[in-house]
Formats: sequence, C-alpha cells, structure tokens
Amino acid sequence: MIFADGITLLCNDIQVDPQDIVMLVLSWHMKAGTMCEFSKKEFTEGLQSLGIDSLEKFREKIPSMRSELKDEQKFREIYNFAFGWAKEKGQKSLALDTAIGMWQLLFAEKQWPLVDHWCQFLQARHNKAISRDTWSQLLEFAKTVSSNLSDYDAEGAWPYLIDEFVDYLKENGVNQHGQINDSSLN
Amino acid sequence: MQVTLGCLRNAYNMVLQKFGEKLYSGLVTTMTSHLRQISQSIESAQGEIFLEELNRKWVEHNKALLMIRDILMYMDRTFVPSSRKTPVHELGLNLWRDVVIHSNKTQSRLLDTLIDLVLKERNGEVINRGLMRNLIKMLMDLGLSVYQNDFEKHFIEVSKDFYCCESQKFIESCNCGDYLKKAERRLNEEMERVSHYLDPSSESKIIKVVETEMIENHMHTLVHMENSGLVSMFVDDKYEDLERIYNLFRRVPSGLTIVKDVMTSFIRDTGKQLIMDPERLKDPVDFVQRLLDLKDKYDKAITLAFNNDKTFQNALNSAFEYFINLNARSPEFISLFVDDKLRRGLKGVGEEDVEIVLDKVMMLFRYLQEKDMFEKYYKQHLAKRLLSGKTVSDEAERSLIVKLKTECGYQFTSKLEGMFTDMKTSYDMMQGFLACHGAELGDSPTLSVQVLTTGSWPTQSSPQCNLPSEILGVCEKFRSYYLGAHSGRRLSWQANMGNADLKATFGKGQKHELNVSTYQMCVLMLFNNADRLSCKEIEQATAIPMPDLKRCLQSLALVKGKNVLRKEPMSKDIAEDDAFFFNDKFTSKLFKVKIGTVVAQRESEPENIETRQRVEEDRKPQIEAAIVRVMKSRKILEHNNIIAEVTKQLQARFLPNPVVIKKRIESLIEREFLERDKVDRKMYRYLA
Repeated sequence: MIFADGITLLCNDIQVDPQDIVMLVLSWHMKAGTMCEFSKKEFTEGLQSLGIDSLEKFREKIPSMRSELKDEQKFREIYNFAFGWAKEKGQKSLALDTAIGMWQLLFAEKQWPLVDHWCQFLQARHNKAISRDTWSQLLEFAKTVSSNLSDYDAEGAWPYLIDEFVDYLKENGVNQHGQINDSSLN
Repeated sequence: MQVTLGCLRNAYNMVLQKFGEKLYSGLVTTMTSHLRQISQSIESAQGEIFLEELNRKWVEHNKALLMIRDILMYMDRTFVPSSRKTPVHELGLNLWRDVVIHSNKTQSRLLDTLIDLVLKERNGEVINRGLMRNLIKMLMDLGLSVYQNDFEKHFIEVSKDFYCCESQKFIESCNCGDYLKKAERRLNEEMERVSHYLDPSSESKIIKVVETEMIENHMHTLVHMENSGLVSMFVDDKYEDLERIYNLFRRVPSGLTIVKDVMTSFIRDTGKQLIMDPERLKDPVDFVQRLLDLKDKYDKAITLAFNNDKTFQNALNSAFEYFINLNARSPEFISLFVDDKLRRGLKGVGEEDVEIVLDKVMMLFRYLQEKDMFEKYYKQHLAKRLLSGKTVSDEAERSLIVKLKTECGYQFTSKLEGMFTDMKTSYDMMQGFLACHGAELGDSPTLSVQVLTTGSWPTQSSPQCNLPSEILGVCEKFRSYYLGAHSGRRLSWQANMGNADLKATFGKGQKHELNVSTYQMCVLMLFNNADRLSCKEIEQATAIPMPDLKRCLQSLALVKGKNVLRKEPMSKDIAEDDAFFFNDKFTSKLFKVKIGTVVAQRESEPENIETRQRVEEDRKPQIEAAIVRVMKSRKILEHNNIIAEVTKQLQARFLPNPVVIKKRIESLIEREFLERDKVDRKMYRYLA
C-alpha cells in the first residue's frame, strides 16, 4: 500500500504538487478506491495500462493526463469518479468541506462561473454532506443551465439543493453574467 | 256578385274552346284595374280610418277572390297547370300585394302605422289588437316573405333602437333590482304581443332583441352596480332578485358565468376575511359556526334562487375549499367545534339534529386539504372526551366515526375505533379488578384505570411524575393484577391525561369535593404536609414538567371561585420562585368544585408548531410509500409524473408539497430504491 507519505514521495519523483488535479486523473486511471491511497494492485495495474515502466515515462505522461480533462466525456467520468474517491469509506455521502475542495479544483478546470456562489450557498444554508445524486447532477446543471439561469426549469427534476441554490441566487439578484450584485457575498 | 250557372258554363266553354289564354289575361287585366281603384280609395282614407279601410277592403277582396276561383275552377284545373300560370287564388293575392300593399303610398304608410301602434302599446296605450292581428295575418297570407320584408324586419330594427334607448335610460336611473324587474316585464310583454297579434315565428327574434339590448349589453354594469348589484343581493338575502337575475341571465351567453364568477369571488373574499381575522381566531367554536352560517347562507341562495344549479354548487364548494385552506389552523378548529358539540352542545337536541350538525361538519372536513391534521387533533380531542367521561352521546361519537370512515376509509379511523375498544376493555378490566381485590382495598382511594393501547392514543412519552403516597398502594395492586393477566406487557401511568376527585376541608370546617386533574391532585396532596411551597419545590416533589405545572398552578391559584391555593406575589404569571399556600379562606357556593383543565383549547403557537412538525414527520413515510408504490408498478417514470401521481394518491389525506416529494425521491435514490436514468436525467427507475 502507498499512503499519504508515499504519495508525497511519488509526487516529488514525478515533480507534481500533491494538490494538483492531475493526481485525480492519475487516481482515475489507477481506479483508486480512496483519496491519498494506492493499493499495490491499483498501482501496478494502473501503471501497466498507462504503459509506464520508468520514472521518465511517468513524467512524460503527466501533460497528456492533464489534457484528458479537456475531453468532455473523460471529464464527466473523472468528475463522477471523484465522488467515490474523495468520500470517507463506509459513508454514503461526501463531507461538505471535501466536496467544496473538490469542486473548486474541478471547476477551476471546467470553468463554471457560479462555483463560488454555490460553495458559499452550501456553507450558508446547507452545511451538511453531499449526496451522490446531488454531486453528479451539479455537473449536468453546470453544463446545461446558463449562468444567468434564463433556461433553468423549476420543474426540471433537479435535486432540491440545486433548486434552493437557484432561489438563493434569485433572492440575491444574479445578473446577466452570473455575478451576484450583493457585495456582502463577496 | 252572384255565382250563376251561366257564369260557370261560360267560363267552362271558353276554356274548352281554347280561349283559356284570353280568359286568364282578361282576369288579370280586370282584377288589376279593379284593385287600382280600391288602392286609391284606401290611400285616400285619412288617419286611423286607413287601417280599418284596408282591412275592410281586404276582407272583401278575399270573398271576391274565393268566388272568382270557384267560377274559374275549370280554368284553374286545366289551363293553369298546362300553361304554367299562377293559380287564380294566388294570382288574386299577388295582385293585392303588388297593386294595393306595394303601392307607393301604402307600403310605407302601412309599415309606419303598424310600428307606431306597437310603440304606442309599449308606451302603455290601448290599441285595437284585433285590427292589428287581421292586418298581420293579411301580410302572412300574402307570404312569409311579405310579412318579413314589409313588417318583421323593420319591427325588429325599431325594437332594437327602442330597447337600446330604454335600457340606457333605465340603467342610468334604476337600481339593479328595479331594472331587472322592468326587463322581465318587457320580456313578458313581448311574448304576450307575439301571442296576440304577431306570427309565432317572430317570438324568438323579438325575445332575442330584448335579451341582447336589455340584459346582455348591460350585464356587467348590472351585476356590479354599487349598493344594488349581485353582491348586495347576496348580502341582504334578496332571494327574489337573485332568482330574477338567474332567470334573466341564463338567457344570454355567458350570463350565468358572470353571475357565478362574481359570486365565487365574493365568497372567496368574505371567507378570506373571516378566516384571516385575528379576532375570530380567538374563539374556534364561533369561528367554525360562522363558516357553517356562511355555507348555509349560500346553500339557501342556490336552492331558493338558483334552481339548485350544479355549477353554482361546485363554485360554492371550490370557494370554500380555497379559503378554508388559507388558514393552517382550520383542521384544529373544526375538531374543536366537534369537541364542543359532543361535549355539551348537543344536550337536549334531537337525534336528527345531531346528524345535521355532524353532516355539516363533515362537509367542512371534505374541504380540508390537510385531513391528516384534522385526524391528529380529532384524536387528541376525542381522547380528552373519552378519558374525562365528558362525551355526551356515545351514539353521536360513533356516528361521526362512521362518517369519517365512509369518507376516508378504514385506515383513517382504525385508531379512533381502537380508542373506543380500549374504553370498553378497561371498564371490564376494572370490574374484574374490583371483584378480585375490592375487599382488601378497604378505605384506600377508589381507583379507575383506563388502559390505553400505545399507538392508538395521542400519548406522549412524558416523564413519570411522582404520585402521592396515598394512592401508590392501590396503583401497585392494579399493576400486578393487570400484568398477572397479561404477562409481557408494559404499563406506564399517563398522569397528564387523568383526573381525580378530592375531599377537602377548609378554614371554617366547610367541606368541598374538588374535581382536579391528576397533576393537580399531586400538587394539592403536598399541602397535607406543608403550608408553604415554592413553585420550584413543587416541581422537585412531583416531577411534573414545568410548563404543565405552571398551567395547573394557574388554575389552582389564579381562577376566581376556584382558588384553593393562594399565591405570593399575587401576579398573573407564575415564576419559579413564587410561593403557594393552602387557601384557608376559600369559599364556594358549590359543594363540588371543578378545577380540572380538561377542556380542549386552541393550541398555543409553540404547541401548534410542534404538532405541525409531528404531522410533517408522519407524512414522510407516507410519501415514500406512495412513491415506491407508484414506481413499483410503473418501473420507469418521469419526474413530474411521479409528483402528479403521488399527489393524487395522497390527496385524500393531505396535499403533499412537491418540494417534500422531491426530497423523499432523493432520499430513496440515496437508499438505492430508485436511480436516475443514465441518459435522461429526468427519468427515475425503480430498483427491485
């Protein structure tokens, strides 16, 4: 097993920040069950499928792994993989702090203008763990509903948390560019 | 003129010898010139003589025509059909029409005179209806088109103008009721006119004119007339006016819709005011009585004035449903009303009247969206009635349960029925207990226990209070008796639901029997061994929860005529450090003094919020069960369809909030009863 310490060493070797999102892509390739952990099986089979047999190749592989995030389909898979990967073992849902961290990481890549409002909203109004359904539906929401909410459908079967988020945005006056006018939120 | 055989023979011969043409054209020429003379004589008739002259000449012409037809019968039968000429009689009429009626001078004069007479009659003058009838008949004899073109068309036009002016005049000068009376009278007059001297085919046309001009064109103005329109009629119970409005407005398109809409919005407003008035909410019984009175009022109007029209009944129902549910406390208040009636209100009232009251309550119940809220309160109130023995009529109680069962099904009432069963079982149990242990109980207090099945009753798991030592013994005896008969059961005392009769002796030796709640008994018994106790000390000694304790101290010390305790300081509120004394100076004219706080009262705000939360909690599993039932049979279903089906399944009990349903769906997804479809995220799949 490789634990947090081992991962720090690994990151040093391949010259990657442990906080870098590419580590999530790597974990996705390795089908890792849990964050900050690789079992021997995950690690070796993962490297094999990536065709990595030396540190050189490992380093060379990093940019191409990073670019996989640009692929719509792969991003979705990685996003949905992240939920199971980041949550505590034995828990059904994802702790809010972890979820917010992951979203900020993922949506930095994906560019969703409302991500900060979403996180603020969760901390202010929800403050509970996030279910898998809400997690995966949020990506759909970010992809299909424009940031000024003009095409949001209240009857669109979104999880209630997302409905409440929309209400929250409307209460606080969201403008054309998805910016909230209320300065107290910033 | 005399018809002679000679004439007949001559006519016959002429036709026979092929002079038919000559005979026929001779007839036309002769008759035309004759009619020209007649026409002149009619034209020269002055003033009123004109119509009489016309009528007289017409009668003569008709007679002559019949004779000529008889004389020329052979020609009519042979020559006329073969040469396609107009038959003699018809020819005579046509010539009358063309020469006399359509002569320049007569045509318009006749029309003007006829119309003038109608107008005179409308203005109340008496006219010669017989003459009118004859002349109209003449026009009809000349052909329907003559009647229509030479009279009816203009008659309708003129009537339109007439009624347009008249309705304008009336609408400016009359109130709604008077206007409608006048309109009704005009309608009747026109119908009468047709029957007296117009052709029946004109009836629908002239009636339509009156309807359009007098009713349809002014219906909005009429209905909304200030101080006399529909609303005032309802307010003042003017059934005759209402009936008139109904009968007149039903004649015109969307007339009744207007009446119905105004009625609906007025009932809605009235009801809304009533239901939102904070003053009304202070007295739930009065509040519900007012609702019932309001319903009675409109029921009566619909029965007496609106011919029991179904659409109006439906409108009334939907208006009530609308405003009753505006106030979340309606279910509670309706149950309180029933409580009041079953507790005392029905005493001395006949069995049939009881049924009437209960049926009315059921009608309000039907309007409720939150029937489960009603059930919750009904259970509480019924429990208090049963346990305090305050129910007036067992039969009325059961009758209402049957009604609820018919309305909502077995499930709704099973627990209520369970309560009745417990009462009966408890009675038998007490009989058994007394038979078995009666002798050894001796002087100890008389105990009467009701054993309540957990779940059937609105019991709260309140902490056990400390019962006075005086009754502990007999309580323990009962406990072992009961558990001996039913091993494996658990008994806990619900002191908050019981009551007691105490014998008390006051300062000057006067004795009273005090009827108190079990909690109050616990408090009072402490004063056998103490003169002064603070609220806090009482709480410690009895372990009664503070809010309950304060309430029972209030009724022991602060109610005039029942103040068997004395409080220091003498303020209205009870603080934990306040001191209580046995009130030696207590007096009452009554030997039995009722102090118990058993009467069901409207809940305080916090209690109300708590009840609501409990009901909301109870709904969750019901909503989930409904979702699962729907999904089990449908396997895959779109989000909004689930919401719709679940709402439909549950609406007999309550109206589920779509947001709550959504949360339950999400919870079921989380627990893997459902999943979202991989392709269409609005579809859910049932996971077996």
